[in-house]
Amino acid sequence: MHTILKAENIVKEFVGLKALNGVTLEVYEGERHAIIGPNGAGKSTLFNIITGMFKPSSGKMFFRGKDITGWPAHKIARAKISRSFQIINVYPKTTVYENIRNAVVSKFNRRFNWVTLLSRDQNIEKESNRLLDLLSLTAARDVLASELSHGMQRQLELALTLALDPELIMLDEPTAGFTRDESHKVVQLIRQVTEGKTLIIVEHDMEAVFSLADRITVLSYGQILATGTPNEIRENEEIKKAYLGRKGNGTGA
Amino acid sequence: MSRNRIYKITGAVATVFLLLVLAPKFLPEMKIHLATEIMIFALFAVSFNLLYGYGGMLAFGFAAFFGFGAYATALIISRIPAMPLLLTLAIAALSGFVMALLIGPLAVRLKGTYFALITFAFQMFLYAIALKWRDVTNGDDGIGIARPDLYLPFLGNLSMAEISNLYYVTLALVALGIIACYLFLKTPLGNSIMCIRDNDVRSSFLGYSVYLTKVTVFCLSGFLAGLAGGLFVLFNEFVATNCIDLSMSFLVVLMALVGGTGQFLGPILGAAFYITFQDWVSSLTQRWWLFIGALYVVVILYIPDGLISLFKSERIRLFGNRKRG
Repeated sequence: MHTILKAENIVKEFVGLKALNGVTLEVYEGERHAIIGPNGAGKSTLFNIITGMFKPSSGKMFFRGKDITGWPAHKIARAKISRSFQIINVYPKTTVYENIRNAVVSKFNRRFNWVTLLSRDQNIEKESNRLLDLLSLTAARDVLASELSHGMQRQLELALTLALDPELIMLDEPTAGFTRDESHKVVQLIRQVTEGKTLIIVEHDMEAVFSLADRITVLSYGQILATGTPNEIRENEEIKKAYLGRKGNGTGA
Repeated sequence: MSRNRIYKITGAVATVFLLLVLAPKFLPEMKIHLATEIMIFALFAVSFNLLYGYGGMLAFGFAAFFGFGAYATALIISRIPAMPLLLTLAIAALSGFVMALLIGPLAVRLKGTYFALITFAFQMFLYAIALKWRDVTNGDDGIGIARPDLYLPFLGNLSMAEISNLYYVTLALVALGIIACYLFLKTPLGNSIMCIRDNDVRSSFLGYSVYLTKVTVFCLSGFLAGLAGGLFVLFNEFVATNCIDLSMSFLVVLMALVGGTGQFLGPILGAAFYITFQDWVSSLTQRWWLFIGALYVVVILYIPDGLISLFKSERIRLFGNRKRG
């Protein structure tokens, strides 16, 4: 299988804390890859390093064979790695349509265009409307993002992430704050919109993870405990221990 | 925006513009002076609002660009008399741009108070140069100039000593600057600037370069401020350190706040109100600064969204129970 993203021995040290301690990971083209682990395992840190929020202390990150270690976030986004946020992060004071249009402008590389009027651009309008439709946000087109329900805001968050036409989609706890039922729907939606694309997802809801993921990586104390198919992970004794909170012999203090 | 509202706004703007064009025919000379000054400061306040209201960057040292444009204009007119006037003004605008290009890349890395203070520091640095480099700037005494004539094809030489001629030149350039700024905000780049103001983290993860976009808007507002500074020297026939000092920096903040920031027409209204108010109060009393101070307090307390908010459709509670954060 073709590797799309490769992390090589990633170490991230914060002051007084080693959040990641040599993580090596390969994500294959077209797979849905979940990263799980107990709180404080380093999931978010790894996620933030891949997307350019943090720079690793050491180690290398490759995307399609290209070294993207330490690239700033906007450059990584332009390389077609697109992320969502755990805490909803949209443009609260503008409408749903304008939110999505902001992403579409970026996708079409019109960010620095200053010779045409934005409202006159048919391509941007068409694409924005298509995305509204795809995420069933058309009814809320002219509502301010801050006035949407939590569920709709999550959908908008997802829409912004997908609007860039990413080759690698990174979702950070997309079902956070949902009831079980709603969570089901979100997973359904994610499955539908990420069809044929590569997905990395950090998620606490195990039901969602095991139904969605092709492969799962388990992090604990900044190291990878195991990577494998959902079945392999389910059978793994060490992981059961980590999740039950009992520490194995070698896993530190 | 509804079609109806577009018609209304277009109608209002066209009416104001027509009135401005006809004004010199009816107004006494003193009032033409006043109107010219208002237009110049309207442009200055609009350029400030581009940076603060739309770019989210509050600069306390914004007089740096105005003053630099002003000094550039005075120096060119006094040392190179043959330079065509429009070219001089273009150079004034460009020098504001260049100064912003020098300061911007360093300043926009900082946020909030730190950004405000570093722009202030650069402005004070330029102020010190203007004050101390006497060979060039004449220090406190400033540089006096005579307004050069403006040569226009078909019309010949227009004497700028005639205030109504200066008024029309100012009107044309200010209108051009303000319309360009208005249209600019409607382009994708203008939209990028507001994206970054509203949410810089999300914007960078959507592929927007926060740094480059901020530098760009910083330079553009410097350009317009430099043009305003050039026009001011032409109007005043004199440049001194007051064009580049602290009070000039605060003046533009005050005008924008009084009128309403983040609203396109706010700073224009603010400049008009402020200049008129100052003109009126200073004709009544020598202690007019006292009243300017009071104006500041009243606006901050009771009309925090600026005078422009009084024209909005929402109910106004001038002395009501506005919640304070």
